[in-house]
Amino acid sequence: MDKGARPNWDNPMQFVLACVSYAVGLGNVWRFPYLCQLHGGGGFLIPYLIMLFLEGVPLFYLELAIGQKMSLGSIGAWTAISPYLGGVGLASVVTSLYLCLYYNIINAWSFWYLFHSFQSVLPWADCPINSNRTGPIEECERATPTQYFFYRETLDISSSIEVNGGIHTGQALCLVLAWLITYLFIVRGVKSTGKVVYFTATFPYVVLFIYLIRGMTLHGAINGVKYMFTPKMEQLANPTTWINAATQIFFSLGLGFGSLIAFASYNQYNNNFERQAIIVSLINSGTSIFASIVTFAIYGFKATVNYENCLERTRLLLLNAFSLAEDSITMDTVFDWIEKLNTTYPQQFAEIADKLENCDLESELDTAVEGTGLAFIVYSEAIMNMPLSQLWSVLYFIMLLLLGMGSMLGNVTAIVTPLRDFKITSRMSNELLNGLVCLFCLLLGLGFTTPSGNYWFTMFNDYGATFSLLFIVLIEVITVSYIYGIKRFEKDIEDMLGHRPNWYWKIMWSVTSPVLLIALFIFYIINYIKGGTPTYQAWNKELGKSEVMEYPVFGQLFIGLLLVSSVSCVPLTALYVYCRKRKYGNHHKRQRPVSTVST
Amino acid sequence: MLEKILILLCLSSALAEQPCKPDASDGYKVRLSIKTALGDEAYVWNENEMFLFRATLAFAMRSHLNGQEFDVSNIIVCDETPRVTFWFVVTSPLNTSGLVDKGVVEEAIRMSRNRINSAFLLTDKTLEFIGITPTLTAPVNPDTPPWLIVFGVVMGAVGAGIIVVLVSPLVLKKRKKNEETDEDEEETGVKAVENGSTREGVYNMSFSDDERLTQM
Repeated sequence: MDKGARPNWDNPMQFVLACVSYAVGLGNVWRFPYLCQLHGGGGFLIPYLIMLFLEGVPLFYLELAIGQKMSLGSIGAWTAISPYLGGVGLASVVTSLYLCLYYNIINAWSFWYLFHSFQSVLPWADCPINSNRTGPIEECERATPTQYFFYRETLDISSSIEVNGGIHTGQALCLVLAWLITYLFIVRGVKSTGKVVYFTATFPYVVLFIYLIRGMTLHGAINGVKYMFTPKMEQLANPTTWINAATQIFFSLGLGFGSLIAFASYNQYNNNFERQAIIVSLINSGTSIFASIVTFAIYGFKATVNYENCLERTRLLLLNAFSLAEDSITMDTVFDWIEKLNTTYPQQFAEIADKLENCDLESELDTAVEGTGLAFIVYSEAIMNMPLSQLWSVLYFIMLLLLGMGSMLGNVTAIVTPLRDFKITSRMSNELLNGLVCLFCLLLGLGFTTPSGNYWFTMFNDYGATFSLLFIVLIEVITVSYIYGIKRFEKDIEDMLGHRPNWYWKIMWSVTSPVLLIALFIFYIINYIKGGTPTYQAWNKELGKSEVMEYPVFGQLFIGLLLVSSVSCVPLTALYVYCRKRKYGNHHKRQRPVSTVST
Repeated sequence: MLEKILILLCLSSALAEQPCKPDASDGYKVRLSIKTALGDEAYVWNENEMFLFRATLAFAMRSHLNGQEFDVSNIIVCDETPRVTFWFVVTSPLNTSGLVDKGVVEEAIRMSRNRINSAFLLTDKTLEFIGITPTLTAPVNPDTPPWLIVFGVVMGAVGAGIIVVLVSPLVLKKRKKNEETDEDEEETGVKAVENGSTREGVYNMSFSDDERLTQM
């Protein structure tokens, strides 16, 4: 009875920090600024905040309530709510497993970049020289040095998902390190996680603050911030804006993976999670907005640097073609001189006209990037232009690592906690179970370090979690509102907190959130069907840029497998439980049931 | 007589200028970007600088072709522009009307490129010989890549951390066992009951947390 007692957080602050550390992840840094830019800057905040209050906070509250009440991982908790719907928990575990497999690769890349920052010249600042020593490597010349470093030296990417090769040893080593650190953080369960989250939740804010100051003092940063905050209100009429806001809130809070249920299951029964749910959701959204200010300051800097380099190249071209004295054309007068020279020497001008670039600050700012492209290519390009670039590079990649590791804590806990609830595994020690899970994910994750690994990563990223989560959370909210019953749920919350949830929560759970989720669900299905064959971006080394390619047949089959494997857990488990009940129901009719005194 | 001398002088000067012209087959175009390189400390390009250039080139030719004594007069310059670009050709000291081959000039410049650059406080990018690409410095390849060193340090720290975390509870258990066996040796039977209760005292904390059970 004593050994089976559930471990708890040392204090409620650990729980809050764990939720913050899990929810505030890489998506806040690289997905939200992209959406902001795509959907009209400051205006995007309106749908974002509306969705936060319509679906974000209520669903967050719901998951915390379930976890704290049942004190079990997702499988056990959902089985306790309704025996037929234990499959929801199983689907959560499967989705978390997929997430764990590919998420730590990002941490491996962050480690790789971090270790490569300890050099006198950042390796992505210049192109390496080819073997003849006549010039830079062609692939690097056609692309940019940062792209070359990411696609060739970090990933050693192949030309398509069908072409494969051996494991990249450097990547594999970094992945092993990432999993070792993950294991170190979760090895004793909540006791070790609780201490680690003090650091992983707070230090990224320190770095973001330092970067805010650095970013705002950069030359040209104000262009980026102005660009972000000028709202383009016409974007609000576009339904995609609202849909993107809803999905961003949804995925940013990490709903549906079972991590929140797992974290809350280690709470004291009477913990005031209502206040904590509101605090964590607000912190998460606040961090997104804060991070996007920093990102846009850096965008502005990078765009201004590129624009000025373009002007400089044009200036030199004019000087050399027309043999004018060096100080006759300055950067400000380039455009005037172009006109002047065009009118006075039209023939000569026509000769260099094709080499003349079109330098435009707006178009530089318009290049919106998200995901790994933003973090590893655009940001490192901006960092290499800053003075003391090694220091900024180290700080930035440490921040990325902490954000990623913090989210990994939640992901692995979401797998381990439900597994612990089974009788077979509860006899195993904490350390052994955690080690086995980490080892399993590490071995499967090595597949992402092969030359086509990045394409598989993109596939997992785009399809592994998105659709299944919507399905899982929709079933969750319908189960709690209608199958378990809002009245019973209210009583449980009153039991834990001492007061009933007010009308706002009840309306959100029973009406608004399900409606929104169904709408999102239908939209996803329509989009998927309309989109035709799913495509991905493949790196073409001859052209030095990415091009769109269709997934081959085995790729599409695998996507289907990813989607079906998690979603089908729900009906399959329901069927299994139904069959078992029928079998044992017949047995019960023949024997007198023995009352079990069990909890 | 005077007219003949005049005509001869004109002809000779004309002949002397002929070898150097833009797009000469054995000549090279030079481009200097002094203001780009030096900014405020840029010097003005004048006749004296040009003289230095011709002298440096003569030095380069001498170093490359050890036997022949090139002089400033062997380097002929023409077509100067405000951009500070000009063409030059090199005449052979043995045969003043013959030009030195383009390839030989290129090799000579490549050999002494560093000296020519430093005479003008310029670099390969700001003192350009159009047509002669600079040989790039070989990349420095350390034996162990630096990232591996940092990786090794971090990996060692993490490995040590994991070992400490895994081993420390075992060490604590052993120590407790030793202490308990020591106590057992001092006192017998009566203590056994008390030992049991002290053990339960340790677990009591988690038991009291289990409010879920009491609420049943």
